[in-house]
Amino acid sequence: LCCGYWDMAALIRGLRAGRVLRGLGSVAVQTLSPQGSNVRRAFHRTILLQLVNDSKSDTSVPPPSYHEVHTAGESSSSSAHGESSEDAQPNTSFQDQSGEHGEDYETEEQLQARILTTALEFVPQHGWTVEAIAAGAETLGLSSASTGMFNNGAGDLVLHFVTQCNAQLAETLAEQNNQVQLGQAESKKTAEFMRDAVEMRLRMLIPYIDTWPQAMSILLLPHNIPGSLKHLSTMVDDIWYYAGDRSTDVNWYTRRAALTGIYNTTELVMVQDSSPDFEETWAFLDNRIKDVVNMANTAKEVQATGESVVQGLMGAAITLKNITGMNQRR
Amino acid sequence: MQRAAKCALRLDLSRAFCLSRSGTVVVMQKSLPPPRDEEEKAMLDSMLRVDHAGEYGANRIYAGQMAVLSRTRTGPLIQYMWDQEKMHLEKFNEILGEHRVRPTLLLPLWNIAGFALGMILTRIACLLAFEGTMSCTVAVEESISEHYNSQIQTLMEAEPERYTELLQVIKEFCDDEKKNRDTGLEHDAESVPGYLLLKTVIQVDCKAAIYILQRI
Repeated sequence: LCCGYWDMAALIRGLRAGRVLRGLGSVAVQTLSPQGSNVRRAFHRTILLQLVNDSKSDTSVPPPSYHEVHTAGESSSSSAHGESSEDAQPNTSFQDQSGEHGEDYETEEQLQARILTTALEFVPQHGWTVEAIAAGAETLGLSSASTGMFNNGAGDLVLHFVTQCNAQLAETLAEQNNQVQLGQAESKKTAEFMRDAVEMRLRMLIPYIDTWPQAMSILLLPHNIPGSLKHLSTMVDDIWYYAGDRSTDVNWYTRRAALTGIYNTTELVMVQDSSPDFEETWAFLDNRIKDVVNMANTAKEVQATGESVVQGLMGAAITLKNITGMNQRR
Repeated sequence: MQRAAKCALRLDLSRAFCLSRSGTVVVMQKSLPPPRDEEEKAMLDSMLRVDHAGEYGANRIYAGQMAVLSRTRTGPLIQYMWDQEKMHLEKFNEILGEHRVRPTLLLPLWNIAGFALGMILTRIACLLAFEGTMSCTVAVEESISEHYNSQIQTLMEAEPERYTELLQVIKEFCDDEKKNRDTGLEHDAESVPGYLLLKTVIQVDCKAAIYILQRI
């Protein structure tokens, strides 16, 4: 599977490079037409060479066809051939793999991201499956076999979508934060901010709400759990950070745990909500946030009461010690 | 008579310290550069987490000490040192909030453990020899100074120009701790029998705590 992936990626690169060179070749051939068909044949051969070179470059073995063509070669075109092969050679260096070489080449991650983003359009039709990824790849003009690039299959698609949503959320929250800092907008109270942030994030699921239960079950698969937990915790941390939480004690943990609970339960309510524009979900969210705020207030009151009780007891103990004369200093 | 004279001298010293101490200015600026990759963020996170928990623990240890010594002649001195630790903790709270560093999960445990450690060890020292009430302080300050020193070394080896503000903060705190230790030594902290044992116990404790804190 690993080898297949490399060949596929290389072939894709080769196809793109070939297209570029074909374009170049046609321009060059026009200018060189007086020299006749030999040069044209040499250029075509170069393009083939480029393709083959690309597919072999990852294995870093000099392609045998290089020599084949060289030995079979026509004398008049061999020099031009040699030159263009020389020119072709640098393009197939290892710079390809890092994606740093020129604007026509992109990294594997960028390519994967593009495929997955396009695949999202096919999710309502195919669900969160490898078929959706294949359909996305085909839309980009790639072979559907490029799904071999994704070791995790549907899990990759779901995690990509979650990453995209979280990035969008973080961007919007940062934007709002900027506006508040510049004085262009009013700062919201914590409960309201929470509500708006969670609603914003959950609304991103609306286009895929019919298939979302399938996505949730994919995220719960054992090998996807670390990834999904990390995304969830990053999102919750983002929301609290922009809500203004700078706590450095146990509150850090309790607040994030509370928000995780709210988010998860609201998500579950949302997938089986059939009211217009998910009104019931937002009402549920309101109630949960009110609960948490109440709990926080109650906890504060309990702590204050507890402290007063302790102080009262200490006072009583000291009074007792005074009465019995045990408190006298030597 | 001699005792009274010594007592007066110590109070004078502590007052002198209060007058001459330089307050740490709370500057609202980024003390760290934005991390350039996951690895650097993880390293800085764990460093800051340990430092924060360390200052928190030191706070609680001083609270424990004060619970025993508040009405003795070393009380004002320990109060002064405790106030300094409070300032350090405030600074670290700020840094943690700014840079979204997760505080350690063990803080409630640290709360109790630090207080207990301060109180118990000071009581033991008091029982053994009244002169040695500062021995706990000295041992703790020494461990903390060592820890800060090793952090400074790590940062200097990595890239001193990148972490100038953080290095400044840590160096300042390290100097404060060393000053406190010297003060404690002046107060005959080492005269407690079994001081070496006390010091070893505290150092082992601190090392174990740092190891755990870097992870949790």
